Amino acid sequence: MKTYSVTFLPEEKTVQAAAGKSILEAAIVAGIPVNSVCAGEGVCGKCRVLVKSGKVEAEPNSFLTRRDIQRGMALACHTYIHGDVVVEVPLESRISGVPQLASEDAIRFGRISERVGEGAAFAHAPLSGKAYLELPLPNLTDNIPDQERIYRELSRHREMPTMHIGLAVLQKLPELLRESGWKVTALLGYRGRTTEVMEVEPGDTSARHLGIALDVGTTTVVAHLVDLNTSETLTTKAKYNSQISLGDDVISRIMYSRTGERLKQLRDMVVGDINDLITGLVMDVKAKFHDVTYVVCAGNTTMVHLLLGLNPANIRREPYVPCAATLPVIRAAEIGVKINPRGLLLALPCVSSYVGGDVVADVLVTGMTDSEELSLLIDLGTNGELVIGNADWLVCCSASAGPSFEGGGITCGMRATTGAIEHISLKPDGRIDEYSVVGGGKPVGICGSGLIDAIAELLRVGCIDRRGRFVKTECGNRLREAETGEREFVLFPGKATALGKDIVLTEPDISNLIHSKGSIYMAAECLMAHVDMTFDDVKHIYIAGGFGNYLDIERAVEIGLLPDVERSRFHFVGNGSVQGAKMALLSQEALTYLQVRIAAAMTDFELSSDHKYMNEYSSCLFLPHTNIEKFPSLRGKYGKPAQAEGARARA
Amino acid sequence: MKMLEEAKGKWAGALNEVVIGATKEQGGTRTSTVTVGGEKTLPFLAYEGPTKNRPVVAMEILDRVPEDWPKPLTDALGDAVKSPAEWAKKCVDQFGADLICLKLQGTHPDFGNASPQAAAATVKSVLAAVGVPLIIWGSDHDEKDNEVLPRCSEAAKGEKCVIGAVKEDNYKTLVSFCLADGHSLIGLSPIDINIAKQVNILVSEMGFPLDRLVMYPTTGALGYGLEYAYSIQERSRIAALGGDKMMSMPVICMIGQEAWRAKEARASAEEAPGLGDENMRGVFWEIATASALLQAGSDIMVMRHPESVAAIKNVITKLTK
Repeated sequence: MKTYSVTFLPEEKTVQAAAGKSILEAAIVAGIPVNSVCAGEGVCGKCRVLVKSGKVEAEPNSFLTRRDIQRGMALACHTYIHGDVVVEVPLESRISGVPQLASEDAIRFGRISERVGEGAAFAHAPLSGKAYLELPLPNLTDNIPDQERIYRELSRHREMPTMHIGLAVLQKLPELLRESGWKVTALLGYRGRTTEVMEVEPGDTSARHLGIALDVGTTTVVAHLVDLNTSETLTTKAKYNSQISLGDDVISRIMYSRTGERLKQLRDMVVGDINDLITGLVMDVKAKFHDVTYVVCAGNTTMVHLLLGLNPANIRREPYVPCAATLPVIRAAEIGVKINPRGLLLALPCVSSYVGGDVVADVLVTGMTDSEELSLLIDLGTNGELVIGNADWLVCCSASAGPSFEGGGITCGMRATTGAIEHISLKPDGRIDEYSVVGGGKPVGICGSGLIDAIAELLRVGCIDRRGRFVKTECGNRLREAETGEREFVLFPGKATALGKDIVLTEPDISNLIHSKGSIYMAAECLMAHVDMTFDDVKHIYIAGGFGNYLDIERAVEIGLLPDVERSRFHFVGNGSVQGAKMALLSQEALTYLQVRIAAAMTDFELSSDHKYMNEYSSCLFLPHTNIEKFPSLRGKYGKPAQAEGARARA
Repeated sequence: MKMLEEAKGKWAGALNEVVIGATKEQGGTRTSTVTVGGEKTLPFLAYEGPTKNRPVVAMEILDRVPEDWPKPLTDALGDAVKSPAEWAKKCVDQFGADLICLKLQGTHPDFGNASPQAAAATVKSVLAAVGVPLIIWGSDHDEKDNEVLPRCSEAAKGEKCVIGAVKEDNYKTLVSFCLADGHSLIGLSPIDINIAKQVNILVSEMGFPLDRLVMYPTTGALGYGLEYAYSIQERSRIAALGGDKMMSMPVICMIGQEAWRAKEARASAEEAPGLGDENMRGVFWEIATASALLQAGSDIMVMRHPESVAAIKNVITKLTK
């Protein structure tokens, strides 16, 4: 078949592509990160690229205006290569920048040293150990085998459960022991009830002992490099999950993964991200891959499946059965994660198809199971998870919120990365009062927290009604009709933005966010009803998830995302997923607690068959809610008293 | 022998009372007015309380000749259907309609695209022909309705008509005109009690008084979603009696429109020989639908066939005796 060269700008990276392949496929081959919310189905309109030259054939779509098409704009997923082409991937279509790490608010929960270590809840006993051994030389009265000699010495210093050793280590053991003068370091790996002697190294290497805590999120991958001797977090890094270009949410990834080849492609992508992060971390502290001996990762059930190469297909199909919830300890090298070649990797246990190890980690980090007081955990993301409970019981559920909290499905939406408007407030006339942009500078688009602010503010100043529709008379000239016929509200005119393009909000944007917030609130209400309690009974509400950190609680209540309770009950957990993974990495006790007292103790409540959810969901598709009694502090803030206004229309 | 105590419901709330039509003294030209709503109990439970205002029957007329209506129906209405004014007069004088419900279907771009001025003239002609109050419906085409209904509202100023429908995505224009011209409004929601309430909230937050609102939670005919419609109406009545002010509006049912859509009502004898007398099937369909929804709590029954109208008026009389 004929192949053509495809050059991507501004990288000037060229790849060969068979005739008829899409630009998106070529971009993936080239490693150019192009946004694709829908995994190339042609329904999200986010993968816009500029075809600078060359012959392409584009399928018609409803996302591009006539002007866009004249400029050479095309959707990468439905534009096919029929000649040598040069394509520019504009800023708005790139998966770029570095996601923000947890904010200062989350530091309290970040200080895991308070919960792991001497006198703390969990004793310091990392999943990986290093023991320096000075073995007694064998002689005729003490001629036990080399392997047993190591076991004997190890047992002398500590209580050791069943030990085992790999063949590869045994094969080199006799020479190694004798060449090193019987002074060796045994690398120990915790594998549940057994301990593996992962490796035996000559000399004393026990001072260099590192581990990685990972949060494998649908959107971001976060890695912390931890000194296993001191519990200190040496450095942290985050990166967008490369799988984004094959779908924004877990469902589209599952749909994409339908062949073995594609499943492997997804695994390789996330493993590549993990290796990039680990390389960066190790270089930062001038350590060696060899010194990194254990990886603990937390992720939602689908991400864990994709990471381990498990078929996730049944997660999506009723009755929603994952391949496994408790995952085996594996050698990291088995899936291609680059640490010490003998090093181990453990994924934290999941509860069900839609409540994963990330949520289990959140619960561990909040400490909600330490107290008799009732706590509610809300992990906000594309897939929202909720857990209610205390020291005695835990019930969880999940609700699909859609990608709008991550900026997906929003005309000018973007993730919370450089250039995203993260906070905004409006003057009474609907003009911008104050705003802040991630990384400073001119805004590129708006992320979830900015969107929540914007909608709460537009409602407050009367520019939208409680259904989220524009009120023409209040919006003035900020409201205009787009070429598509949709009405759009100009938040920032082009001259004030980084791309020179207006940042607008449309009614479908607002509606998407209302659906997202409605599904979270409704899930919370159903969960409360399921355990026969009300929000008033909840003493602490923990907000987890990357997006949660930047949330303005007041605004989130105003749009009806969070329940209207005393604001002091809300706490931000930050990235509980990576923190929980780190606690498990540092403490075998914490891992056991997490497995037994959290994951195994959690009752999963399936919302998809809940009548209350079906019957009342539409009552949440209103700002803040159809039944304002549920939001007592907002009562009386909306609308005009009856007949106060006369006939404005005719005047 | 001891008798079991009667299980009487105790309710905190009541339905709003909506007055439709205005006489000369009240600033209009109607010879009679209609009051609906005001109930304090579930429908027709005389031992809990009287029916404050009995349900009323409006007859539906169009601003165009109803070419697509089944023959048994148009036969019963006769030549009067050629003129909305004649049609309305016949409904009131001969068939005993309590109100007239004028559907401006002819303003729809696909059904003649009559101008707002023409629609307003039709409204005036109907008002001149009959003395009963008037319900005015648009053509279910949002953009056109926003041009047509304000003109009709203006043309009928002071007559306290009921005008519809406002939806959660299209209400602002109509609300402001009806507010100014003194009419009541119909709030439409697609078989969803929450959206019904949202429409009421949106409209009232524009300053529109609650006692000038009627709900249309959409009607399903027998075999075509009647049980959904029933359940929604029942829940909304219970919410109103429970004291929810935003759900306390009387309910209008488009019985004729839905019943005559049913295959069983429309099919000719040749098309469906097994279904029985084609002249009676549609009538029965209307009666069955209407009598069920009366029990769910309906206040205004909009119907088409003279015989079904007579039958339902009889049912109402018996239920409220």
